[in-house]
Amino acid sequence: MARHLVCRASDLPPGTRRIVTLAGRSIGVFNVKGEFYALRNACVHNQGPVCVGRVSGTYLPSAPDEYRPGLEGRVLRCPWHGWEYDITTAENLIDPTQKLRSYPVTVDDGNVVVDL
Amino acid sequence: MSTLSRPEEQTASEKAYRVIDTDIHHSLPSWEALQPYLDEPWRTKIVAPNSRVGGLGVEAGRSRLDSTPPDGGTPGSDPEFLVQQLIVENHVDIGILTGNIYGWNVHPNPEYANAVIAAFNDYTIDKWLTPHDQLRGSITVNANDPEAAAAEIDRLGPRDDMVMVIIGATSTSPYGQKYYHPIYEAAIRHNLPVGIHVSAAGTGIAHSATAVGTPRTFFEYHSGLPRIYMTQLISLIGEGVFEKYPELKWVFIESGVVWLPHVMWRLDKEWKGLRREVPWVKRPPSEVIKEHCYFTTQPLEEPPNEDWLLQIFDMINGEQCLLYASDYPHWDFDALHVLNHLPPNYRRAIFQDNAQRLFNL
Repeated sequence: MARHLVCRASDLPPGTRRIVTLAGRSIGVFNVKGEFYALRNACVHNQGPVCVGRVSGTYLPSAPDEYRPGLEGRVLRCPWHGWEYDITTAENLIDPTQKLRSYPVTVDDGNVVVDL
Repeated sequence: MSTLSRPEEQTASEKAYRVIDTDIHHSLPSWEALQPYLDEPWRTKIVAPNSRVGGLGVEAGRSRLDSTPPDGGTPGSDPEFLVQQLIVENHVDIGILTGNIYGWNVHPNPEYANAVIAAFNDYTIDKWLTPHDQLRGSITVNANDPEAAAAEIDRLGPRDDMVMVIIGATSTSPYGQKYYHPIYEAAIRHNLPVGIHVSAAGTGIAHSATAVGTPRTFFEYHSGLPRIYMTQLISLIGEGVFEKYPELKWVFIESGVVWLPHVMWRLDKEWKGLRREVPWVKRPPSEVIKEHCYFTTQPLEEPPNEDWLLQIFDMINGEQCLLYASDYPHWDFDALHVLNHLPPNYRRAIFQDNAQRLFNL
């Protein structure tokens, strides 16, 4: 396993992301409310550039005609066909067995580091 | 008079299962026949010119010429002749009458439509169900007046000989919408499935017969009938009707079958990308459909390779959801032998088991 420096943590504030190429792989690094997550930039559906997608909340499962907003700032939506993932778990929202490839992230001496 | 062939397991002396026909169009010999069941002003209006829901306005050839009763009356209007020609000669054990006035939901006058529909239900009980214990009825209701429809279901729902609620497949808004839900709640109160049947597209207050306008011929209209059912099925899923009413069962009558894999797979695919629009859809739509929806086989598609049909049936879990229907006495009638090429387990499920379970027969 190799450690890859992404950026200074202060350059990746909450609600932002950075897409980097590490060891030839396109990887999205996200700051969700102060926690960092690294996801492979390839949707499990059709390999679309999922990490480029909009980050938002979603509507949680509900009764008909009811809208329950939730997971604000945690949902990554693939720009190709709209599949939704929880950034913090890498899981697809309707089928948790469909997960994006994820990598451990640490903050080391103020640096965001991804282990590949 | 010829006798139609029956499946090989159904010999004259021994039957492996009962045959249940789920779409039989009995009809009135004339509009005058409804008058004893109507109050004024409808008793007079029913025989007035231009007072009723019309056809598409294209030449249709609606019924088998050989289904005309011996007295020369309207096909499907003579109970004894229908029982002979369909129940006896086509080897049907239980026949579910669907009538032919569910399309009155697009009549501009809902009070008139409600009265005519209730009269037709009474006529059906009186002249058909009471004298013939091989027959069951469908409670026709005016889908465009859901409160009145629910009242009609409550009026007749307790009867053992009424096994379904039937409404026209052509509506003024998609059937998933809340406006129609009182009908479904009433059906559930009486443990009845809701059936939709091809109806008066392009007439009365209905929209154009297709979303792109009115086709020139019945050939064009009829070839594309599944479009109506697709819209209704997609609406039921998108509005979460089966999530709201887990007990509700739905019957798609006269839609054929082969369009279903397309809609199931399309819904599943779209749901994966657009579920936030319909957060109440919590499972793959194809699973919801398989749990709640039944489909009559007629008019059964006839692909050049019969094996393809079985493949399609497998794709939709057809052994659980398909129902035999003849559509007697209409011109595109399906006799029993159209299912002869299916494996015996399929025939048993389609001729008997699924209908028996759905209609509590």
